[in-house]
Amino acid sequence: MIPTCIRGIATGAALAALLAGPLQAESAVEGRVALPKADHAPVLNQRYSIVAHNGVLSPYPPLAVVYLEGSFPPPAVRPDAQMVQRDLNFFPALLPVMVGTRVAFPNEDDTYHNVFSYSPAKRFDLGRYRADEKPVPTEVFDVAGMVTLRCDIHEHMRAIILVLATPHFVLSDAAGAYRLAGLPAGRYVLRVWLDSKTTLERAVELRPGETLHADFP
Amino acid sequence: MSAKAAPATGGVASFRRRLLLAMMVVVSGTAALMLLFIQRNMAQAARAGFQREFAAELAALHAAEDVRHASLAERSRVLARKSRIHAALEDGAPELLYPSARDELLDLAGPDEGGPRDAAALRARYYRFLDARGRVIRPVDAQDIGGLEPADEVKLALAALPDTPQTGYIRRGGADGGQPVDELIAMPIISSESGETISALVLGFKPESLAGATGDAPISGGILLGGRLDLPTMPAAPRADLERALNAAVAAGGGDAGEIEFRGPGAPDLVFFKRLNPGSAYPAAYEVSVDSLAALVASQRRLGWEFAAAGLLVLAGAYLASHVLSRRLSAPVERLAVDAEANRAHWHRAEAALETTSQELQRSARFSADASHQLKTPVTVLRAGLEGLLAGHELGPEAREEVAGLVHQTFRLASVIEDLLLLSRLDAGRLQIQFSRVNLAPLLEALLDDVGAIPDPFNLEVDADIPPELWITGEKGYATLILENLLENARKYNQTRGRIGVAAFTDGEWVVVAVGNTGPAIPPSAQEHIFERFHRGAVGENVPGHGIGLNLARELACLHGGDLRLARSDDTWTEFELRFRAAPGEGAPP
Repeated sequence: MIPTCIRGIATGAALAALLAGPLQAESAVEGRVALPKADHAPVLNQRYSIVAHNGVLSPYPPLAVVYLEGSFPPPAVRPDAQMVQRDLNFFPALLPVMVGTRVAFPNEDDTYHNVFSYSPAKRFDLGRYRADEKPVPTEVFDVAGMVTLRCDIHEHMRAIILVLATPHFVLSDAAGAYRLAGLPAGRYVLRVWLDSKTTLERAVELRPGETLHADFP
Repeated sequence: MSAKAAPATGGVASFRRRLLLAMMVVVSGTAALMLLFIQRNMAQAARAGFQREFAAELAALHAAEDVRHASLAERSRVLARKSRIHAALEDGAPELLYPSARDELLDLAGPDEGGPRDAAALRARYYRFLDARGRVIRPVDAQDIGGLEPADEVKLALAALPDTPQTGYIRRGGADGGQPVDELIAMPIISSESGETISALVLGFKPESLAGATGDAPISGGILLGGRLDLPTMPAAPRADLERALNAAVAAGGGDAGEIEFRGPGAPDLVFFKRLNPGSAYPAAYEVSVDSLAALVASQRRLGWEFAAAGLLVLAGAYLASHVLSRRLSAPVERLAVDAEANRAHWHRAEAALETTSQELQRSARFSADASHQLKTPVTVLRAGLEGLLAGHELGPEAREEVAGLVHQTFRLASVIEDLLLLSRLDAGRLQIQFSRVNLAPLLEALLDDVGAIPDPFNLEVDADIPPELWITGEKGYATLILENLLENARKYNQTRGRIGVAAFTDGEWVVVAVGNTGPAIPPSAQEHIFERFHRGAVGENVPGHGIGLNLARELACLHGGDLRLARSDDTWTEFELRFRAAPGEGAPP
């Protein structure tokens, strides 16, 4: 049912985490998240990547964001992220970023877009702009939380930027498999974000050089 | 006669009067009914036409109103889908709701820049959002979203959020004079996340139908809201009456539309009411359209006068026509009445004459009978005396011849008396024929023999064509008498070396005996009288006879059911035709 051809998604944040820690002491977590079945008909059009169902926003097809919570030293570099508007859609639909990350919003369509958010974690309004807008509008997301992106012109467009207070996070593949590497040893809470109302968590203890296996649930 | 004619004339006059009256009643009644019918029809048609016109005008207004409404609803719908409004409601930013909406609604609810009237009509005066329980979300700052007194703002609330757009009307307390009623459109805002109605956008407009800008049309419009009627064109006093009437009609009818006729102080008005917001969650509001019936009433009154005039004309015409007609119709009746009167007089006279005649007839019949009887006896006595004389030897040959002539005369006398007796019995209706089968042939042969045997000064030649069998129904004696009479006549009224022709034959159910002679022609003027009693042909003055023979023969033939007529009479030939009824089964003896 879940396509197997989807491979893991590398993220800049994970790479940053990898580079930050001492190589010999690195630990890792891997496992599988039981994703919600994707058999329900989406409320909105199928091509939308963020769907609303019974008041819950979730990525479609289902994906999970797995992140490790704890106190980590801030990374030296915070690579920028991108939320592209393409074919009257946001891409990617679900974007996890670390707090303080600057996200660019390039418009790759031939029409105006007006990206804005009223979410408490980040309120902003980029105004109307076209593809040839220079510089590309950016926003820095410095409060952790879920930010719902909308387009003032295209009411169907919806995306989620998940602003996390940790550099250690990863998107699962479509089958729910994930792997977080380059983690410092210690006791942490491993969280899985499934949708706007569901976050799973689990206490983990990472030993140096070991790979912990953690499945959800 | 004149004494009788007077009441008849009076009767005819009264008949004429009654006829005229009846015709007048019928004609004027019919005319009145027809006029009434036509007048009603025309009045109804005029009223229907008026209503149609009114309805058409209203329909045009409503069509324009519907377009405006649809346009408003569509704009509201577009607004209700705006991302920012949804974001404010769904993404937890209620404080951003009105500021966001202000930008989005700028074109709809912004300041009036004095654009064209259409644009002004589509401009919202104010707007508010309702929360999940239908209550008004109070704006932090009412600037740019339209000021509204708190007491009026509450009226925008609904008991629950609607699923569909709702139209409502509110009467603002702090009304700005001329236009105290606002039209509301509550557009539900449906969450794209939960699919539920999370809010509603309520926009307040100035209602177009109340603008009353219907050109020079006599229609004036108003709104009935919460039992109160706003109708700026009507003075307060009749408006209160109309308000009561409308409230009663709405309460009684229960429908969303209706029509009443309102009698105000002036001419009556035709009032339509139509619910402006059928099925709405807001209180019911009715559009009230008033069209004065003054023109219609005036035209109907004019029509009434025209019809009254026409009625009078028709009545006059009817009177004239009735008069002429009754005169013409009564004329034959009048004539008939006069004729009847004359007829009656004639009839009376005829009746009296008939009575007299009848009495005379009876008297004469009685007289004939008496006379015959009284005469027969002396004749017999006379003849006996004369025969006695002949039988004796006292008379000389001359005297004997004389007496023999006298005896012969007594036979003639007896024969006349016999005939008279027969006639009197006939006249008295006492003669009965004893019907039986009689063969005429031997009777005729015998009679012809007798004719031949009589000494004849004319040297007559007798032709007879008689079949051997001629059966009739009748009485032999009378049949003989008839034939005797005819043959006697044929012999008497003849000429020297003349001829007698007798032909008998059977013709179907008749037996016909034709007796002809070469006698003098009977003049046509005399032909119709020959069968009358005591009539003798002018030619026969020197011929013996008493003028009752033919009469008697014919009466007897008729009594037999037959007939006797003159078949021919000219210079060469006179012929009588006698008919008897043939006896059934002719040829066979009884």
